[in-house]
Amino acid sequence: MALPLPPGLTQNEVAFLAEMEMVTVVPRQRLDSIDLLGGKTPQLRPPHRAQLPLWLALLLKKQRRANIVPPAWMHPASLAEIIHRETKEDPEAFSPPPPPPSRALYSQPGTARRLNPSYVDDFTQTQQNSQQDPNSILSPPFLPSNVAESPAGYLPYHWLEVAEALLTHAGDDMPAPAGEVRSLLRDLVEVRAAKMRSSTSALEGFGDAYLTLRGVGAMELAENRAFLAGLVDGVRKIGASAEATRREEEEEARRGGDYGGDGDEDSDEDMGL
Amino acid sequence: MPMYGDLGNKLVQHAKRTQNLSHLPPYQTELVRAVAREIRDLDKDVASLLEPFQGSFDPSAEQATACTLLVNHLSMRRNKRCLLAYHRIRTDKLEELVWNGADILDLAGQTTGGPKGVTEGNEGGGTTSSLSPQEEDYFRQFGDLLALYKGQWTDIDLTGSLEPPRDLFIDVRVLKDAGEIQTEYGAINLTKNSQFYVRQGDVERLIVQGYLQKLG
Amino acid sequence: MSYYDIDAILTDAEKIPCTFQIDVPDLGYLDNQPGHTLKSGSRVALPIWLAEMLAIANTGTIDMDDPSQSSKSFITFDLPPALGNDVVQALKADPRSVPLRDQSAHFYALATHMMELSEEPELSAVLRKTFVSRAAEIALHARKVGGAGGKGKGKATKDDNASNLGVGGAGEDFLRGLDEWERKLFRCAHDGTKASKEWMENVKKR
Repeated sequence: MALPLPPGLTQNEVAFLAEMEMVTVVPRQRLDSIDLLGGKTPQLRPPHRAQLPLWLALLLKKQRRANIVPPAWMHPASLAEIIHRETKEDPEAFSPPPPPPSRALYSQPGTARRLNPSYVDDFTQTQQNSQQDPNSILSPPFLPSNVAESPAGYLPYHWLEVAEALLTHAGDDMPAPAGEVRSLLRDLVEVRAAKMRSSTSALEGFGDAYLTLRGVGAMELAENRAFLAGLVDGVRKIGASAEATRREEEEEARRGGDYGGDGDEDSDEDMGL
Repeated sequence: MPMYGDLGNKLVQHAKRTQNLSHLPPYQTELVRAVAREIRDLDKDVASLLEPFQGSFDPSAEQATACTLLVNHLSMRRNKRCLLAYHRIRTDKLEELVWNGADILDLAGQTTGGPKGVTEGNEGGGTTSSLSPQEEDYFRQFGDLLALYKGQWTDIDLTGSLEPPRDLFIDVRVLKDAGEIQTEYGAINLTKNSQFYVRQGDVERLIVQGYLQKLG
Repeated sequence: MSYYDIDAILTDAEKIPCTFQIDVPDLGYLDNQPGHTLKSGSRVALPIWLAEMLAIANTGTIDMDDPSQSSKSFITFDLPPALGNDVVQALKADPRSVPLRDQSAHFYALATHMMELSEEPELSAVLRKTFVSRAAEIALHARKVGGAGGKGKGKATKDDNASNLGVGGAGEDFLRGLDEWERKLFRCAHDGTKASKEWMENVKKR
């Protein structure tokens, strides 16, 4: 009762967490390493690129001590590609999240494999990998998906929050006029919001109807969580009695061979005694 | 034609409205009494229906009486549920108000649903409280309990803002004299109309209470 | 469904058509005739909190081998008009055009409660479809309203946390016809959109 917030993270909380995303900066001044709770930041020496958490990057940007290199997925061409995929190629699904980082070993050029053991399906491969690099346990927010090298054409989990922050506070660092990027971003927001609404029709029929939320971003989840949870809960309640009947029938069919026809419930009670 | 349970229903409809309000509407003393009276009347009816049987009532032999008894019993049970739900909604609301730092005087001085915090100059007059005397007691004691609970932590304000911080330091203007406060960076004297650049955590409470206004 | 749930209590106050199976001298008042005997066969609309138990309870032993020999329930009941064939057919034809609130403010809660008491497989399927397709419409309206709230006034903070669904235009009729479950959905969707909007505006202030 005392907590007046709804279940799950609010938009402001999501935006706060998104500031832990790592981004790439080009420093304009030297800056020594800072000892933060999350570890030491790299020394900044112009013109070498470095990775910093978004909140720190924004602070340095405001103080004109660094420029931010926007992630590749924010380039207009990348955004246009994603919009094309979302509208033309697969108008039903959300475009997939970025693939886990992969790299070829020096000893075996041409055979790239995933760096992140938790994503690897093959167990033996996992073991090999973790032997080679015990530190490569990566998951968001430590999986850098908003640095300059992050793959184009994929929306990371915190795409909207990071994009809004960068467009607002580092608009002059964009690879294209900020207005162009922003308008593509608006289109994407609208396309995906409409998709979110129409995705609910999957719940109309009986059977194993479910909602797929793969590829949906943190901010989109925060916005739709209460509605979708309410919707699914309503569907569950409406189907509850039919579901109970179905289970009873299944149960009876399963026991049908053991007991003679009627009076099942009674024999059940007798068994209990 | 009024039926048993109708009054209880009215009470629950009040509770339903209360759920959507930010303030607490007046306690329905009369309605609560009427529902309680209905329960007593029903109980008397049951007693007089059962009296001739001298404790050896057989439902299958007296179906009509059994049916009447059941109706009476269900009506009492229904009324009880309505009463409990009504009061529970209100105590939930009271607890919420305590957590939000509401003042008992604000509540007590409230007439019908006026906005909070307009009670100055209204004290001493014959104001009608929207709380029943028991609720006022509940409010006070819950406030004490919360203060006791909060007192265990000196660094964390359990009733503080739940918004993630934007900036550690903020500009504030003083709306009412708030005296001197101690901060990590020394004492600040908060006199009306002065402005300060302070740590948000130090003054959060004063902002909620209306002493300070956040700028920018 | 909790004992203290206000909506559950109000749902239980919905009346359903009942038929008395025995004469009861003291209950004439249920049929607007206090002082008279309530005759067997009388049709009376009773709230669920009363009807449910009267239908389940009976006075004698239960004969499993020959149910006709069991002593009768006090009453039998039917589906309320809100869940009648007319409504079901209208929902099948076009779920969005039926103002559910006119049938019952607690339409779905009433329906699920009735389905617990008696099996209605067809009703369950129709309602599921109705609920889901109307929800999409609700989300659409909520996005319009929630989005507009922040734009026009700049600071839309405390004005619409109550249950007012002040919307103008075409959606007004649809929104007025929402039952309680749907109103809650609308509020969820509306609040979600509004919070996003507010966040978006705050990014600039940082």
